[in-house]
Amino acid sequence: MSFLDSVMAGLSLVANVETFLALFIGIVVGVIGGAIPGLSATMAVALTLPFTFALQPITGILLLLGVYKGGIFGGSIPAILIKTPGTPASSATILDGYPMAEKGEAGRALGMALWASCTADVISNLALILFAGWLASFALNFGPPEFFALILFSLTIIAGVSGESLLRGALSALLGLLLATVGLDLVYGTNRFTFGSPDMMGGLNFIAVLIGLFAIPEIIAMAWNPVAHLGRTRALGQSRMSFADYRRCFPTILRGSMIGVFLGSIPGIGAAPSAFLSYSEARRRSPNKANFGKGEIEGVAAAEAGNNGVAGATLIPLLALGVPGDVITAIIIGAFMIHGLQPGPMMFILNIDIIYGLFIGLIVSSVFLFIVGSVAIRGFGFVAKVPKRILMPTVLVLCIYGVFAVNNNIFDVGVMFVMGWVGYLMMRYHVPAAPFLIAFILGPLLENNFRQAMLMSGGDPSILVRGPITWFFWAITLLTVIAIARAAARRTNPAG
Amino acid sequence: MTLRNTQIQLGAAACIGAAFLTAVAIPNWITSPSNVRNLVLSPTFWPYVLTGLTALVGLLLLVSGLRIDAAAAEPDDGSDEAPEMPGAWMRLGLLAAMMVVAMVALPRIGMVWTTMVLFVAAAFLYRTRHPYIAVACAVLVPLVLYAFFAHVAGVAIPQGDYVRLP
Repeated sequence: MSFLDSVMAGLSLVANVETFLALFIGIVVGVIGGAIPGLSATMAVALTLPFTFALQPITGILLLLGVYKGGIFGGSIPAILIKTPGTPASSATILDGYPMAEKGEAGRALGMALWASCTADVISNLALILFAGWLASFALNFGPPEFFALILFSLTIIAGVSGESLLRGALSALLGLLLATVGLDLVYGTNRFTFGSPDMMGGLNFIAVLIGLFAIPEIIAMAWNPVAHLGRTRALGQSRMSFADYRRCFPTILRGSMIGVFLGSIPGIGAAPSAFLSYSEARRRSPNKANFGKGEIEGVAAAEAGNNGVAGATLIPLLALGVPGDVITAIIIGAFMIHGLQPGPMMFILNIDIIYGLFIGLIVSSVFLFIVGSVAIRGFGFVAKVPKRILMPTVLVLCIYGVFAVNNNIFDVGVMFVMGWVGYLMMRYHVPAAPFLIAFILGPLLENNFRQAMLMSGGDPSILVRGPITWFFWAITLLTVIAIARAAARRTNPAG
Repeated sequence: MTLRNTQIQLGAAACIGAAFLTAVAIPNWITSPSNVRNLVLSPTFWPYVLTGLTALVGLLLLVSGLRIDAAAAEPDDGSDEAPEMPGAWMRLGLLAAMMVVAMVALPRIGMVWTTMVLFVAAAFLYRTRHPYIAVACAVLVPLVLYAFFAHVAGVAIPQGDYVRLP
């Protein structure tokens, strides 16, 4: 199929009101979800997922991508106005966004956040369109040993989402891998930790685990301290962003977008490190570096370009290799699977219309994001006033319906509650949940590819290093492990 | 809690968990055929590998925790952690009980009615300042979700044994 044919096939799939409406609604939901501190883009995507079951695959996935993109931008609004990032990705935006709000320039900061986000989003989408197909055609040469090496490499990158402690991140990932072993053994069909229950033979439901880990702990934490969320919202002020501001910050936005694209395309790094790297690079190169941290608009532009530059690029490994780039794309991988699609190189052959439909939808999403974002900036006062003590019970009810709807099974609701308490314990002990979820998704893929490789070779482990592709992945895995160990040692002993 | 205590408690829990998996869980709760020719293809191989790694990480956590000087131990990086409010443990216990009751009630009185009660209970547990809005939302939210999932998504929402919705 030629490029033009592929574009036309994609267009025929998305050129309808329902699809664009879903994308628009997704962005609205995402911006609101991201703007409410404690809800986060991840939770918004997770809670929207059950609503996609009744939709066409392309419509459902675009709805989720809309929530994702909207959520990343939405997180910047409370970061600037109430010094609380709506999503972890917006943490860097606080550094200059809130000081600007204190100076009465919140409107200017939010305007720059929106322009930088949309510009970075466009660049990120273009990178996805340019590189995903190329990477997928390369990945068509992969067999089980290559996929095993690739997934192993992706797991090492979990260090990037491990937060303050690598060991706690590793423990979280191992718990996720162990939980993923529940179910019938794929080679022999025997039971593994199923306790004879038919509900557990297919393994634990991914959505139940996901919502349990990311939504329920917030509900439980609210019971621990029902007034923790109360804060003060800054006014927008009279100052607005000018075109001169945008022109001055454009090189910073471009650099931040490139950083976002690069880091986003590496599985496991995510938006927050990208935002901080973009911010520190902007500070290093800026003639106004003394103003950074005191309300410099370039700082807001850098942080927002960095975190939104990730949004499209993180779909590159997802679509081309079937490996999630971060937690949100891990959820989106679940959506693909629920709709009977398996992301990865074969999707570029079997479902090229969906791939190009997604590309078209993503380009349109940048325009929608701009429209919704402009309105959201003015409407945040209303969103901030949603009583959280009403919102959390709503989320609880939504979780119950959503998780039940996956398999029409009350057992899944129980799994969600149990995972919620596990997630809450992890939160109390500062064990990050993201490595758990990523490992839970990658675990079966890792084991299956390992065992398939062993079956192919009759148990000879040398198949795992059978050619240049596996050598490449083993080498970068080794380099990553060394880099992680050195960084951990440096953190433990800063003087040395 | 100090970083030292966090590391030690997590490390100990990981080691105990790994010992339990090795001694009890894997031998008893994983069925492995007797004719497995290759060890690496056995259904128990992967869980044993993961258990070994868990024990290793647990030991490293223990060692790293013990290496922190108890006298100089700083609180764990919990600056964003919500402080304990009076009655916090009781509210946690009540929420856990509500979840258990909800699980029992879901198939018996139906999802809509159960979630309505759960909503109100949760809102009052959080000491809402908007009780009327909470009750209104408790009625509306489950009904709207029921309408969507039952009539749009075609999900068979549990109706219970008593009052059935159209």
